Amino acid sequence: MRNWLKCAAGALALAPLVVVAQVPAGYPADYAKTVEAAKKEGKVVVYSALDTKAAQPLIKDFSALYPDVKVEYNDMNSTEMYNRYIAEAASGQGSADIMWSSAMDLQVKLVDEGKALAYKSPEQAKLPAWAHYKDQAYGTTFEPTVFIYNKRLVTGDDIPHDHAGFAKIINSKPDKFKGKVTSFDIEKSGVGFMMVVQDTKYFPGLKDLEKGFGATSYKVYSSTGNMLEKVSSGEHIIGYNILGSYALVRAKKDPNLGVSMPKDYALVLSRVMFIGKQAKNPNAAKLFLDYILSQRGQKLIGGEVELFALRDDVDAEYTAGKLKKEMGDKLKPIPIGSEITAYLDKDKRLQFINDWKAGVASGAK
Amino acid sequence: MATPAGALQRTASPLPAFATWRALTILVTATAVLGPLSLILYQSLLTAPFFDASKQLGFGAYDFIFRDPDFWKALRNSFLISTGMTIIAVPLGGLLAFVMERTDLPGKRWFEPFILVPSFVSPMVLSFGFVVAAGPVGFYTVWFQELFGVEQAPWGLYSITAMAVIAGLTHVPNVYVYATAALKNLGSDVEEAARVAGASPLRVALEVSLPLIMPSMLFSAVLVFFLGIELFGLPLVLGDPEGILVMATYLYKLTNKLGVPSYHLMAAVAVCIVAITFPLVLLQRRLLQGARKYATIKGKAGRMKELPLGKWAWPAAALLGLFVFVTVIVPISGIALRAFVTNWGFGVNLSEALTLESFRFVWHEPTHVRAIVNTVLIGVVGGALTVACYTAIGFANHRRNDGWTRFLDYLVLVPRAVPGLLAGLAFLWVFLFFPPLTPLRTTIFSVWLAYSVVWLAYGMRLISSSLMQVSPELEEAGRSVGATRGTISRQITLPLIRPGLLASWLLVFMIFEREYSTAVYLLAPGTEVIGAQLVSLWQGGAIDIVAALSLINIVLVGIGLGIALRFGVKLRD
Repeated sequence: MRNWLKCAAGALALAPLVVVAQVPAGYPADYAKTVEAAKKEGKVVVYSALDTKAAQPLIKDFSALYPDVKVEYNDMNSTEMYNRYIAEAASGQGSADIMWSSAMDLQVKLVDEGKALAYKSPEQAKLPAWAHYKDQAYGTTFEPTVFIYNKRLVTGDDIPHDHAGFAKIINSKPDKFKGKVTSFDIEKSGVGFMMVVQDTKYFPGLKDLEKGFGATSYKVYSSTGNMLEKVSSGEHIIGYNILGSYALVRAKKDPNLGVSMPKDYALVLSRVMFIGKQAKNPNAAKLFLDYILSQRGQKLIGGEVELFALRDDVDAEYTAGKLKKEMGDKLKPIPIGSEITAYLDKDKRLQFINDWKAGVASGAK
Repeated sequence: MATPAGALQRTASPLPAFATWRALTILVTATAVLGPLSLILYQSLLTAPFFDASKQLGFGAYDFIFRDPDFWKALRNSFLISTGMTIIAVPLGGLLAFVMERTDLPGKRWFEPFILVPSFVSPMVLSFGFVVAAGPVGFYTVWFQELFGVEQAPWGLYSITAMAVIAGLTHVPNVYVYATAALKNLGSDVEEAARVAGASPLRVALEVSLPLIMPSMLFSAVLVFFLGIELFGLPLVLGDPEGILVMATYLYKLTNKLGVPSYHLMAAVAVCIVAITFPLVLLQRRLLQGARKYATIKGKAGRMKELPLGKWAWPAAALLGLFVFVTVIVPISGIALRAFVTNWGFGVNLSEALTLESFRFVWHEPTHVRAIVNTVLIGVVGGALTVACYTAIGFANHRRNDGWTRFLDYLVLVPRAVPGLLAGLAFLWVFLFFPPLTPLRTTIFSVWLAYSVVWLAYGMRLISSSLMQVSPELEEAGRSVGATRGTISRQITLPLIRPGLLASWLLVFMIFEREYSTAVYLLAPGTEVIGAQLVSLWQGGAIDIVAALSLINIVLVGIGLGIALRFGVKLRD
């Protein structure tokens, strides 16, 4: 039976029919041309802020699906990625085919500046409206922000369950939490900055939190990994605005680390992907983008990759669907659109940073 | 007007060839150094990236940073830390070099590799090691607290003082290598004379041997101070949580402060840093005007003899042991432990957290494997090439006192003053926008060139220190029997400075292994090196992999160092 199948597959491989067979269900018929062209291109160059280790299952599965398209995956931090992309684009040497970053604002800025290729993915209809922009940029994940704490050192009522609670806990016990609170450095981390700007929309008590940060002289970092490490070791014991995807993965194998999903609201970050305007392998890039947005890719994102799948029609360990069941409309996705680029204006940004610092300083004694 | 004798010599020798060759060396060096630097200067006078269509000329960048209170704080901290670390590193490095090179301390050979360790481990990794080992919840801190039943360890890591001490200790090898290279060429007759007259070994060291190698000591002092102004990894790890900024971390902070990268602001800060270091260069040159009187390899060189330490052996051993324990064993054991456990800190039973997972992952990840191979290549092959280039520059300058010599002297000091992070970025620009080089951008050549230029001052000092110790009379002897300049260089000077060149190779190997900031912007598939890979992984928070890769790096370099030391010992016999 299996031999027979192999023979049939072999025979089909010689016929033009196989091309059609490769077009995923529901895709337009001329997608076969894209697949053919992608095969000729032979590779897709990806710049991504998601490290190679985490992305490995996706790369493997994509290669299994399209064995003729090699993935050249480069992980770097989101600022470096942006720097490199604009420099390479300006030099006219060509840059990434795929840009995939958690710095949503920088990604949208690049789209607004005309540095992305217009491409309407066949998967677009399956995405929520906030998750695609101008037929160019697409959200790919659904990552909630959470609180973290050290399970050995923070127990009972000291575990925060909502934003107001977090502020109250650190304000009421400044001695216990002195030097033990951590969050993003909003001056250094674009993601951290974007999140507190979003907080101003949903959390009226933000000023109290700033005061609490001041009162406990909170410690700031530019990456989630550092904060997880420090809270796990007990150097700090409680953390605010942490990327839930990373935190939950680590908490699974790290008995020290506790994760608390805020009950009042949780911001949701989505990694934004687009195809480079000067992409040398635009067809391969289209395949990659469509694959990431497809049910198959999303299932892996919610599974082995351990981020959260964006699509509702996917069943995996980490999905937007499951989160929504638990939290309903308490989930507040950061919209992919020009709203988030407003604070890339220099004066506006500095003003926000100065106000924030003043708020923190007002709590310090 | 040439004398007849001079004319005769000129026709018989390839002297014009030497002049051409010298001019070419100067030209290449000047291009490699000034190209990227002028790009930075130009960028600092713009309002947007230089390749952006909307850019305009103006002083806006300087206006911004001079109004920013953080800039002044960072400047102050940089000066405090640099001063502190120079005060610690120079005497300690000199003393250690004296103990190792000139005395009969038993078993000292075993210590040498350990003394050099901090100079080939990326400072970022060492700082991380200190955090894991001696931070608020570090392995050693917790053990100390349990042993003595105290709530808090009597030390802290996150302060300017602590940073100056750690930076000072970790920069001791920089002084040590220069000092030993110079001491190696020092006749022991003067030391013996002092000893016979009743001076203690410490007094011999402080009043005879070290003053005799003053040029090397001064160079290393200024270089350590430079390195202090440029410190990046260490304050990034230790200063950040407390918000203690230094110049380089302030520069780094500007990458994101305005949301989009502010190249013009970063370039302006870099220009300010260069402006700080230039007066130092002038001062250094003045101090070295009389360097010739320090020539100690003479035609009638005496035998080298080790100084007997007697009862001073114990304090010497204690100094050596304490230094190695604090600077090497504490952070490295921290890293090693961290590489093999899943989590750490208060109340964690380490034996339950043991794992080999991190190493398994590194081994199966082609990028990491490539990084390891590239790092070895750039250290061994690249290091040798670099030393060859430096030597060529050294000879272009040797026994010359014209304007070009002075020009080259300043030139080689310049790139080291530019923070590695931005120098790397400037090289990325060069490789992107300078057509002849563009095909080489994604090869390890780009990283090699950037490293060689960035570390020019560092390597050149070692080579010119060696050259300076060759007394002119030996070369004059060659000249008097009719040898040409090229022949003298090849057959007299070069063989005499061979130990110095081998030491340089070792030194360059080590700094290339540990360099990290310069390669960050050049990182691409094909150009991975462990240092830059570590920064990238650190950003992503893959700290277990950082620890594993660091340990691999340390082991690799340990092997290389072992081989080099054996080679070195043979040469000395």
